[in-house]
Order: sequence, then C-alpha cells, then structure tokens
Amino acid sequence: MNKQFDVIIIGGGATGAGVARDCALRGIKALLLERLDIATGATGRNHGLLHSGARYAVTDRESAEECIRENMTLRRIASHCVEETDGLFITLPEDDLGFQSKFVDACRAAGIRADVIDPKEALRLEPSANPQLIGAVRVPDGSIDPFRLTAANIIDAKAHGAEVLTYHEVLELLREQDRIVGVRVIDRKSGEKAEYYAQIVVNAGGIWGHDIAKKAGVTINMLPAKGSLLIFGHRVNNIVLNRCRKPADADILVPGDTISLIGTTSSKVPFEEVDNMYVTADEVDLLLREGMKLAPSLEHTRILRAYAGVRPLVASDDDPSGRSVSRGIVVLDHAKRDGLEGFITITGGKLMTYRLMGEWTTDLICKKLNINAACVTATEKLPGSRDDERKVGRKLHAVPAMQRESSIYRHGDMAERVAAETSAERSLVCECEEVSAGEVGYAINALDVHNLVDLRRRTRVGMGTCQGELCACRAAGIMARKGKYCTRRAKADLTDFLNERWKGMSPVAWGDTLRESEFTKWIYEGVCGLTNKKEE
Amino acid sequence: MKFDSVIIGGGLSGLLCGLRLARAGRHCAIISSGQSALHFSSGSLDLLGALPDGSVVENPVEAVKALSEQAPEHPYSKIGVERFGALADEAAALLSEAGGKVEGTSLQNHYRLTPMGTFKPTWLTMDGYVRSDNRVLAWKHVALFNAEGFLDFYPQFIADELRKTGIECELHTFNMAALETVRRNPTEMRSSNIARIFDCDENLDELARIIKAEMGDCEAVLLPALLGIERTDGVARLAEKTGRPVAIVATLPPSVNGIRMQRALHHAFEQAGGTYFLGDTAVGCERQGDKITALYTVNHGNIPFVADDYVLATGSYFSRGLVAEHDCIKEPLFGLDVEAAAERSGWYDRNFFEKQAFEGFGIKTDKTLHGLCGGERIANLYVVGAGLAGFNPLAEGCGAGVSMLTALHAADCILNKQ
Repeated sequence: MNKQFDVIIIGGGATGAGVARDCALRGIKALLLERLDIATGATGRNHGLLHSGARYAVTDRESAEECIRENMTLRRIASHCVEETDGLFITLPEDDLGFQSKFVDACRAAGIRADVIDPKEALRLEPSANPQLIGAVRVPDGSIDPFRLTAANIIDAKAHGAEVLTYHEVLELLREQDRIVGVRVIDRKSGEKAEYYAQIVVNAGGIWGHDIAKKAGVTINMLPAKGSLLIFGHRVNNIVLNRCRKPADADILVPGDTISLIGTTSSKVPFEEVDNMYVTADEVDLLLREGMKLAPSLEHTRILRAYAGVRPLVASDDDPSGRSVSRGIVVLDHAKRDGLEGFITITGGKLMTYRLMGEWTTDLICKKLNINAACVTATEKLPGSRDDERKVGRKLHAVPAMQRESSIYRHGDMAERVAAETSAERSLVCECEEVSAGEVGYAINALDVHNLVDLRRRTRVGMGTCQGELCACRAAGIMARKGKYCTRRAKADLTDFLNERWKGMSPVAWGDTLRESEFTKWIYEGVCGLTNKKEE
Repeated sequence: MKFDSVIIGGGLSGLLCGLRLARAGRHCAIISSGQSALHFSSGSLDLLGALPDGSVVENPVEAVKALSEQAPEHPYSKIGVERFGALADEAAALLSEAGGKVEGTSLQNHYRLTPMGTFKPTWLTMDGYVRSDNRVLAWKHVALFNAEGFLDFYPQFIADELRKTGIECELHTFNMAALETVRRNPTEMRSSNIARIFDCDENLDELARIIKAEMGDCEAVLLPALLGIERTDGVARLAEKTGRPVAIVATLPPSVNGIRMQRALHHAFEQAGGTYFLGDTAVGCERQGDKITALYTVNHGNIPFVADDYVLATGSYFSRGLVAEHDCIKEPLFGLDVEAAAERSGWYDRNFFEKQAFEGFGIKTDKTLHGLCGGERIANLYVVGAGLAGFNPLAEGCGAGVSMLTALHAADCILNKQ
C-alpha cells in the first residue's frame, strides 16, 4: 500500500467519513483511519433523528438554521438512509402552552416549517401520542440511519479513490519541527505497525479527538457528556415525538426501521469511562418515566436494549474553566491556533451537520493545499440513494417479498448487489430482520466485516427482538465458512457478540427481555457449551 | 372438573410427576400451554456437573453431600442426600421406559459432544447421540455430513475440535430433491422441517446411499440430529444401510429428539389414564385457608379444575412460571413467595457467561416442596422443576435433574400422604 497521501483523516464516524468523501470528490488523495469499525462512537449511539432544527430554534438560532438546511440536503442525497416521518412538538398539561407561540415564531424565523395543529388532529396523525396533550406543532423532523449514512459515505469515498483502514489505531503523530507530517498506526487485528504520511492530518476523533490532539502536543478542552437511550421492541410511533418546551432529558421519541428510540439523558463522565459506558438503572427509570409522558403505551412496550454515547462537547478557547460550551461546529486550524502546521481538528457539531463539517474541513484543506475545487457533496447523491426504490424492487422480483423490502430498506439501490440468487442463499439467517444468507455473504465479502458486531451494523443481524438468539451462531458459521476467521476465533467472536448484546440488555432485563436472555444462555452455554474462558 | 391431582405445566417435570401419579392409580390432569424445555434439548440430561463453589463433579451421588452443605436450600438438599441416588435411578428408568431410551448412570457422569465440538459432562444421553466416557471419541477417523443450506449446524466447529485430539475428520454436505422442497421457503430450513423428510423411508435410504458413496474409509459417520421426527430408528437404519457406525450431534433448536421425547412422555401419560390439556393456560385459583380449592384456565373459563393436590411445574422465566417486572420477580399464578434480590442491579453480572443471580431466583418451598404464601405453607400445592429457587441449572449442570427428581419427590409426597 502506498504510504503517502494528501490527507490522513483520523476517525471513522460520520464526520470522518464525510471529510473523506468530500476530499475524494475534490480529487484529494485521502486515507481514513479508524481504530474500531466505522460509526462505533457517538455516530452510532444517538437518536438517529433527522433534526428539523426546531429543537434548537428557541435557544440556538444558528444551529437551527444549519439543521434545516442539512435536513433538506440529506433528504436528497441520502434518501435511502432517511425516513420522512415529520415530527410533533407536543405540549402536555404540565408544560407552559405559552411556550408554543414563541417556539413557532423561532422556527419560522430560522426557516423551519412549523404548523400548529389541533390536539385531536395530532392524535389522529400519531395515535401513540399522549392523549392528554393540549397543543401540537408539526415540523419536518425525520429519522436517519447513522450507520447506513456513514457506510454510504465510506463506499463513495472509496469509489473515488480514498483508502479506508478500519481497526487501525493511531499510536503517534509524526512531527517534524512545527509540522505534523504523518501518523504511526497499529493494525489491531495483526498487531503490525506502519507509518503513513500526508501534508495534512485531520483529527475527526469525536470525544477521542481529545487524546489525538494530545498526541500532537496541543490541548483541546473537551467535556465528555454521556447520553443514554432505550430501544423499544417495535415501532411505537410513526412520527417523531418531542416535548414543546426547552430541551430537557428524555424528551424525544424517534421511530426508526422496526423500532422506536427514547433519549437522552445527559451527564458529565470522566474520560476514563468513555470507552466503556454502562447505562444505570436510574437512567433507565428516568428514560421510561419521561418517555411514557410522550407515548403512554411505552409502559407496556418491551425494551430491547439500553445504550449510551458520548457527545464531544468543546469548551470555548477563551474560557479555560470549560463552563461555556459550544454546541456548534468547531474547526480548529492548529497552525493559526497553536503554531502547529499540517493539523486540523474538526469537532463539536452533530450528526445532522456531518456533511457541512466535511465541507468546511475540506475547504480549509483545499486552501492549505492550494487546490481550487468546489464542494459537491450537497448535490451528489450517495450510493444507495441514486435509483428509484420501486425500480430496484422490480429488478428483484424473484426475491421473496419480505426479504426484498427489508433488503431495499437497508441498502437502497445497492440491494441488487445483495440479492440472493439461489434458494440456499435466500435461507434466512435472522428471522427477526429478514436477513438472508446471501446478504450476510455480501456484507462479509464487500463491506469490510471483521466480526459479528461489524456484521450486525451492516445487516441488522441480531438487532431484532431476539437480539441474536440463533442468528449469531448461524452468522458465525457463515463467517468461518467464508474464510473470515478460523473456528477458534469464530467462537471467541460469538462470545464477544453475546456479551456485547448483554451489555445493552442487562440494564433492561425484565419481562420478555429477561426471558430471551435466559433462553439465549440455555442455548449457548447449555446446549452449545460456549464459555467465556479463553482457550488454552 | 374433578381430579385427584392437577399438574400445571406439561414439560419434563410435569410429565414425569403426572406419569408417576397416574401409574399409582391417581386420576390426573396436566394443563400445558405448549412447548417445553425439551424442545431445545441437547439430547442429554444433566444431574450434577459442578458444585456451587465451582468444583467439578464426577460422581453426582457422591457429591450431593457436599452440595447440601454448600447449598442447604438447593432442591437436592430438600430431597435429601439419602434419597437422591435412588430417586435419580428411578427417574432414569422411568424416562428410558416412557420417553425413549437413554443411557447413563448417577454414579459417574459421562460426556456429550456439543455443537461446538467440545465435551460436556452429563448424566443421561438419548439413544443415537455421540457420547464418551473420557472426552475422547471411540473412532480415529470420522466423516461429518450436513444438509446443504442448513445453517443451524456447523460441522467445522466440531471437526476442528476433534482434530485437536488427533481424530481425522472429513466434511461433506448432502443434497436431495426432498431438501429442495424444504428450501423453497426461506424460513423452512430448520431441523424439525428437515427431519420430517426423513420420516419417509425413501429419503432416509437416499441419504444412506449418498453417505455410502462419499464416506470413504472413515470409521464412523456423524450427522446433525434430524433423522426423522416420528421414527426412532433413523440412526440404526442409516448404520445398517451404510455398514458403518452412525451417531448424531445436537443442532440449534428446535431439538428433534427432544420433541420426540416430549411426545412419548405425553403419550405414556395418557396411556396411564391421565388427561393432557394441550394449549390451555392456568390463569387463576381459589384458596380457602391453607388449601387451593379450584383452578381456572383460559380455555375452560368459569369451569374450575378441582383436585386434592396441585403441582406447579410451569418452569422459570422463559415459560412464564416466573415473571420479572422492572422492580420485582413474581410467581404469577398463585402469588407464591419468591426468593430474589430486591434491587434490579443485584439480578445480573455484566459478563453474560458468568453465573447470573436471576438464574438462582425462584419459588420458595419447604422440604416437601410445598409452596409458601406470605411464609405460610399451602398444604395441597407442590412446586417442582425449573421454577424452584436455590439452584443454577447451567453453572451446576443440574437443570434436568432438578426437574426430574423434584417431580418424583413431589409425587411421592402426594402418594405417601394417604
């Protein structure tokens, strides 16, 4: 592999992927390095809300305007990742109805469509909403699949010449005098070390960007903020539900794919914990309590799992106390800020603005490299979103209907590449999510899958109500058969996968979730004799 | 409806209890909502594989004394060290005769071959499965066959483990027209559906021909457990037609041989004069003083089941014999006293494969397995099987044993009352 690039991007979240794609589309030779799989940090651990910006309209006009612009852009360029559900901001008896008019004015001022609707009409539109609601405003919220979005950016970046190395962790930033000239990395699978060089290194590491900056010898004052969420076992609502009040904990319920999500809590956590976040019983109880106010049926809805992400909040440079936090996009040109050439940090922002963050970063890169190329990411559609889904559906007429729909939902116009050709390939690996052996095979061959968790992100294997009961073992078998790994590693991977699932299930393991866990344990520990004891 | 005994739950525990009572001349009913743990059996039944402190058990009868010292509330401790060995042998004999042939002794665990290729200690193994007395196969060279497209069995796991012990393994897949029919629907390639095609002699004989043509000079042939759901002679017939020893290994659920055992026990219970209410669920009861006087079910509405004695054999969480809510664990039918940690954070270990506290929770009883309500014993209600408190079926390798022995123990308590 060539070791010289124009740009090295550290971090395979939505931001890093967005920068990589933007660079690639402008003809800049980019290498993206990710220490785990893509979208494993905050990108994959949020609501998956396609913000209209309404949430920020009252408190942060600038963010609201950015959101609505990007919202409209993403509907166009990433249609296969987006569900146009719309959103309701509901006022409950305990809330101040006076806030509603202020909210609507602020939305309109930011360019966000906001229609006040009759409470009865709101309940007709969204029957799961709290029937006690006294006010409702309809806004163009939606849902977006963060993994699919990141993957599509990666696929397109690679198609335009970018190189992507997952499971590669940066050990060191290589420095010559006052310039960063490259990185030293370790391949976490093989243990091999290598050095890559570039004119510019971009730090897009999210909360981990704090440490990456440290490796470059500069300080960014970041504050890890943990946000916990709950995933429900089926789609409770079809329209995003928000509370019409100042943003608070657990006041957004987002439908996505086959599930609904409530979040988030918000608490400061120490840096030592960001790699291993556990959701506490108190957080679960708070999410459930507040969630039930949005949609009372949540009380009796099965919770599949709980998880938490870490927002990379950045303290303003002029406030060393760290109290004044910016929620906007932060691009740091370390040449200007710290006298360190060849190093840029892109942070802050949110999933909604990943593309804009990529654009600003790439603009700065172009300026530094004296390249004159305009950004096209706001108009060039992502792979998966280029073809009409109905047309794709017609091409796949031989695939069973449920499987076809699931596959198109997940892969958009790329579903054709996934389609199983023979009856053996159509055999289902995961019944909950209608994932066929063919789709698993495609993901393993073409989508940089290294383990079962990677596979889950790409295909939804093990994400349904059973949370990997039988499909995990089937998929491990296919992975081994395809030569991804030996059986010893397949078993270790299966153990890790089940433990990873349990991490999300244990905080909510009562009712059916506990039943399912008991069964899974019987099958894997009992029938299969799987243990977590490392093999000698 | 009047019975001598009504058993709620028609799994291994409920069936053995009912069988023992019915054969002793009692007029018995079993109310069963459907599937049981036998539907995902490994093909083996465990009695005692390890003590609560983790030490490995070779001889369960010898080890039960130490168990009762470590865990006085364990169901085996309640049965009593003296009674344990005899009861285990009676349970094994009853199962073998009524549910299908099993092999093993309570004096020495043997080993079964898991779908992961490892050996696990156990007590009784159903006829036809691979078993070993010393964690080594009897053959030096085996051929493993799997149905093409069958994802619930992955022979490579087994082959790689066996090779470590110096055994030569060859992997083969088989295909036939009848399998293509099963494959047409993407959800159908499951063990029980495939097993059905081998109920037909013609298909089983075609499999024999395929194996014979491909097996080379191997000493034995290993297959997933799917050789017929009705027939019991699948393994024997293949062995006869191929001229080699044939043995089966457990698949992911459903367990074909477990289903067959469930059906055989069900049949034996009815042969003994019992009445099996399939697809019915007990939902309520009446109680007077320290006695249950009536039981109500979904299907029978306000017509009560009335009996001298009631046996609760509804299992643990999966079968809803225990119900976990976000702040407590309950026994939903009679509201019996349950042993469980009060705080939810005390239910779990973060490592999935560690002993989980919730597995040890369950229904409290006295020595004669009477259920308790507010600390008071209910004189005509017995609790048996997986719903009991005080044991960990996986870590201690005692799930089936607890189900079977408590079933017989409760039956004896009922019979000895008169």
